[in-house]
Amino acid sequence: MDAYQAIIARIETLARARGLSFDPVYFRMTDSDELAEVASMGLPNRFIHWYWGGAYKELVTQQGKEVFSILELVLNTRPGYAFLRQSNTYLQNVLVIAHVFGHLDFFKNNHWYRKSNKNMLNEAELHARLIRRCAERYGRERVEGLLDALLAVATTVNAFERNPEARRRRLIYYLEERAPLEEWERHLLQSVREEAEYFDLIQRTHIINEGWATFVEAELLREVLSARDWATISVQLSARPAPYTIGYTLFKAIRDGRVPQRVGQGFAAALRVRRDYDDIQLIQDVLTEDLLHRLDLFVYDPKEKQKSYNLERVRDMLIEQKLFKGEPHIEVEPGTHQRDLLLVHRDEERKLDPKRIAQFLRAVHSLWRNPVKLRANGKVYTYDRRGFSST
Amino acid sequence: MLRLHRGRIAQHRHDELLRAYLKQNLNELIQQKELIVDGRVKTQITTLDLPTLKYAEETSVLARGGRGGAGQGAGGGAGRGSGDEEVQVLSGLLGGDHHGRELRVELDFDEFVRLAQEVLLDQVALPAFHEPLRTGEVEVDEPPELDDLDRIGLRPDLNLEETMVASLLRNVRERRTLDYDVDLRLDGWYFVEDPTVFQHHRSLEVYVLDISGSMRGEYLSLVRKTIFILWYYLDRRYPTNLRRYVVFQDVAEEKTRDEFFCVESSGGTHISSGFEKAMELLEGVTEHDKFLFLFTDGETSSGDFDLAKRRYEEALGRFDLVCYGHVNPGGRGVGGFSEYVQEAARRHPNATFANLVDLETIRQALGDFLSFFQEEQRTGRLWTPTRRSSRASRR
Repeated sequence: MDAYQAIIARIETLARARGLSFDPVYFRMTDSDELAEVASMGLPNRFIHWYWGGAYKELVTQQGKEVFSILELVLNTRPGYAFLRQSNTYLQNVLVIAHVFGHLDFFKNNHWYRKSNKNMLNEAELHARLIRRCAERYGRERVEGLLDALLAVATTVNAFERNPEARRRRLIYYLEERAPLEEWERHLLQSVREEAEYFDLIQRTHIINEGWATFVEAELLREVLSARDWATISVQLSARPAPYTIGYTLFKAIRDGRVPQRVGQGFAAALRVRRDYDDIQLIQDVLTEDLLHRLDLFVYDPKEKQKSYNLERVRDMLIEQKLFKGEPHIEVEPGTHQRDLLLVHRDEERKLDPKRIAQFLRAVHSLWRNPVKLRANGKVYTYDRRGFSST
Repeated sequence: MLRLHRGRIAQHRHDELLRAYLKQNLNELIQQKELIVDGRVKTQITTLDLPTLKYAEETSVLARGGRGGAGQGAGGGAGRGSGDEEVQVLSGLLGGDHHGRELRVELDFDEFVRLAQEVLLDQVALPAFHEPLRTGEVEVDEPPELDDLDRIGLRPDLNLEETMVASLLRNVRERRTLDYDVDLRLDGWYFVEDPTVFQHHRSLEVYVLDISGSMRGEYLSLVRKTIFILWYYLDRRYPTNLRRYVVFQDVAEEKTRDEFFCVESSGGTHISSGFEKAMELLEGVTEHDKFLFLFTDGETSSGDFDLAKRRYEEALGRFDLVCYGHVNPGGRGVGGFSEYVQEAARRHPNATFANLVDLETIRQALGDFLSFFQEEQRTGRLWTPTRRSSRASRR
């Protein structure tokens, strides 16, 4: 790590001069394996679950093939933790350090991140211990089954929602409030829900966060690197995964004034956007027809094999993905205060896979413990003591 | 620094669940018409995903043109778009967590076979076979002398010089360029032991499958299960196995392994053509132990009956063992050409006949097959007489 102290200090000074600010950060050198582990679990000390195991396996395979390898990881905690990969070249790690400062600035200044839980590292550790204790006490199978069900409903969290009525229509909050769970089970639900909210925030700001970090990286490195190194790097910048490139392109457009006037232009406007926006706002305000084509971003219909570069469609689809993580939008039907739990699929036009409905309702039933119904596909599906049925 | 490998622990649990699931669903998986796609066994597994809701049909997705992009995002998957253009699907645009991503389980074909063998061997309860001497930690006075060359062999024994020459010649032939572009399957030459000295170290196995008539799920299932168990023994008995695959209906064709496990049924039945093709494949082979495994429902076209008989007799003369599998998922009586072979197999020491109805009949068939190795079994060096098979109790 010593070899990097000088460059870390230099990049930090440059960043502060540009108006960026951050909480303290620890840089740590680590190997690809640990990076894949943290990337698959989301946090370094999170509870162990088979589901991350599948993702981990996939990441390790990818790292091995060098198709897509993770160069760095940084955690939204106070103090921040950043992981550098041992096998990176010096230049790669310089890149990573600049990128990390972009994230750290975003974590500290973005409106949504300011409200986020900066103590998640400790809390995840506590959750993991709680889960281990429960597994010892109530049996591994039982706890694993509970976690499967909880993780399945955890996609219904919304870290941004403050309205209690709207929150209650989201399944996990409803279950937390009313499901007849034992105390330890409720604690597990809360643990999973808190972690899911932490990740919801990350997911909902993925484009802007990665875009900003990449943008900062490019701005700072232009001053640090030789012309030749910079040329190599700028080629790499345009070849990153989609959220990076999309966000990066949008921030460059703001800097260069190629966006609608209300957004403003120049580095100062970029700083404002990183402070006030999330992905949805960024896309809504900044993405233009011109940028859409430049990014080659479209809605793709796999059945007809057709692309649509319609700005409205792209925006709508992106917003939907952000709000519901690309999963079907289901809500708890308001006014159900009885024993039965009624869920509704809001996008009636689109058919849900009945096999998945059965699995999902079974999972929900394991938490609700009374009949669970889902209105979808023009039918009402029920899961109760007798099993799965539809009418 | 000592570190708890949470990722590996999680993966271990994931794999445990995956194996349990695959074992439970082996029968369904093994019946998939297209068992191997791009060298892998695709599964429709959803249970290894979390029990979340999913849409029933492919719907529109947010995507980017794939040009120039080096990597896919954490949540991205590349698909094929219109024409040859790449479309990079931005599924979820995820960060940090992995919710909403489809985890489709795919297995390497060899891994699948191992898993299937584990399940099947447990069910059929046949004797276990020790690893061949060469791969175990057995003390040998002298290492085997690899003083001969062959087109098949072990990767470490690759003869680079010959392989490069073969590659060069092939490239001149096929692409008219004087260029090394080695494709091991086509160009590989290996150092091997002199086959006359180590006669029993290699096998030639020809698998012949009748694809006329209805290749229903159960038909495929019986054939594949039998083959997988056969492989368990053959892999262990011979350090190298040369495997060739033939399918036939009116005419016979050689196929690759992957094609063999993805065949469509069609046409009439000329069993004779299957035997003919199998014998063609014997041209120039130096392997000492040559096996023919033929699977059919036995209903050969009426005009083919006599010819098929003659070819069968010929095959008996040329292969060391001819195993005929009458695939009979319905458990009906044995008729037609199969009836003839059933009778003939009694008279020939190097012929076996199996009426493949269910696992129990596969077990009997394998018993007959293993008696080919009777001499070795008697000396007991490679075999452990475990389990309840009647043939397994000698030592």
